[in-house]
Amino acid sequence: MLFRILLRYIIGYINIRIEGYSVEKLINICIKKKIFFWNIKRERSTIIYTNIGVREFKELAQIAKQTGCRVKILDKKGMPFILHKYKKRKIIIFLLLFIIIALLSLSQFIWNIKIEGNNNISTQELTAILESKGIKIGILKNSIDKQKIINEIRLERDDIAWIGIDVQGTNVTVEVVETSAKPEIVNEEDYCNVVSDKDAQIVKISAQNGIPAVKEGDIVTKGDILIQGWIDGKYTGTRYVHANGEVQGKVWYTQKEQVPLNQVVERLTGNEEQKYKIKINNFTINLFKTLSKFEKYDTIEASNKLKIFSNFYLPIELIKVTNKEKLEEKITYGTEEAKQIGIQKASEKIEDELQDDVEVLQKYINTYENKDYIEVEVTYEVLENIGTKEKIVF
Amino acid sequence: MQRRNKRRKEKILDRILEVPKEIATNEPKITISGFKQMLVENYKVILEYQDIYIRIKTYTGIINVNGFNLKLGEMTEDDIVISRRY
Repeated sequence: MLFRILLRYIIGYINIRIEGYSVEKLINICIKKKIFFWNIKRERSTIIYTNIGVREFKELAQIAKQTGCRVKILDKKGMPFILHKYKKRKIIIFLLLFIIIALLSLSQFIWNIKIEGNNNISTQELTAILESKGIKIGILKNSIDKQKIINEIRLERDDIAWIGIDVQGTNVTVEVVETSAKPEIVNEEDYCNVVSDKDAQIVKISAQNGIPAVKEGDIVTKGDILIQGWIDGKYTGTRYVHANGEVQGKVWYTQKEQVPLNQVVERLTGNEEQKYKIKINNFTINLFKTLSKFEKYDTIEASNKLKIFSNFYLPIELIKVTNKEKLEEKITYGTEEAKQIGIQKASEKIEDELQDDVEVLQKYINTYENKDYIEVEVTYEVLENIGTKEKIVF
Repeated sequence: MQRRNKRRKEKILDRILEVPKEIATNEPKITISGFKQMLVENYKVILEYQDIYIRIKTYTGIINVNGFNLKLGEMTEDDIVISRRY
């Protein structure tokens, strides 16, 4: 029923008043002839208000004549009448057409590029690569040859394991999977040496296979051979083996930190002001004065791309500029205080660097006092496994 | 149209196939849902339609409905809905 009413709204309907003594008869005949009308209102015993479709009205008028009722049109409603009203207003129609054409044509371009999944490769680098391959903001959607670009990038870059380009509406999502630079895995059958991967002092060396090349207490540098993968025999000649073993060494991590005694620290006061800008492609319109009322402030810009549907971006950006007032404060540290800060900073940096399964043997702290600053040098002596397998290349 | 005016009886086949009575015969069926709506199936004609009083003729008799703000809606050849106007 509701569907039929909605259909009438599109086709057009009229609101009429029927007046006569035998209105019921008229209704009955209309029902028999399957004329659809709705929203009947009875005012008095002789008057009825109802809605009826435009096409059925002629039939109804005939029936009304038969039954001796008078029909009066009160209102015309529906799409055709609304359109008729706007027929003379050409600018509105022109603008509507313009909007539709603009939407359709703008939806053929790409307005947003999103890069996901990159940790080591910077986003700028990837955008530069994509730009050289033809994916940039403002190009036609159809001109992207996805498979070709994917193949080209994968051929060029070794550190990209997989790349996926997905065009959705007006934005492109580029998903990247990086290859992590793993050490070369040496097969069990291959001949190899055990090589130091850090500068260290050997604490313990136990070779399961092969000949130890260094003694305990030796100082090795990165790349030195710890366990040889070849055995020289008097009678057998040189024989190669798969060297294997555990080498533990003392490794030193050093971190220097300078702490100025007089520092200027910035502190936010909490006062804010917000300004808005509109950016159309590359053209910026300031809605407020650009000058801030604060003397010293941080500026945070947050841009918001306009979109119609969930992924239909328009080339219009709304930029919100937040200015946060800040104050500069001078702080003077005492020497002890400065030392503590320096030690803490340096220790934190070293601990970030350390691997999880290491044993810290000792910590050395040296401090040098200067006129303006205090220099702190923190050294960690750490016991850890050094030694990785390296294939022997003939 | 003439067939409609005849009173149709329930046939054996309809009873075997369990066809609903309001379809198989011309007997009226009145469904009242809450205090707001009343559906009359298999009616003949509307005899009278006023705000407070509606008379509907069916094949077995006349239904009189008394009330306030009565409204007829969803009228088709076979069924009619009497509801409350808001």
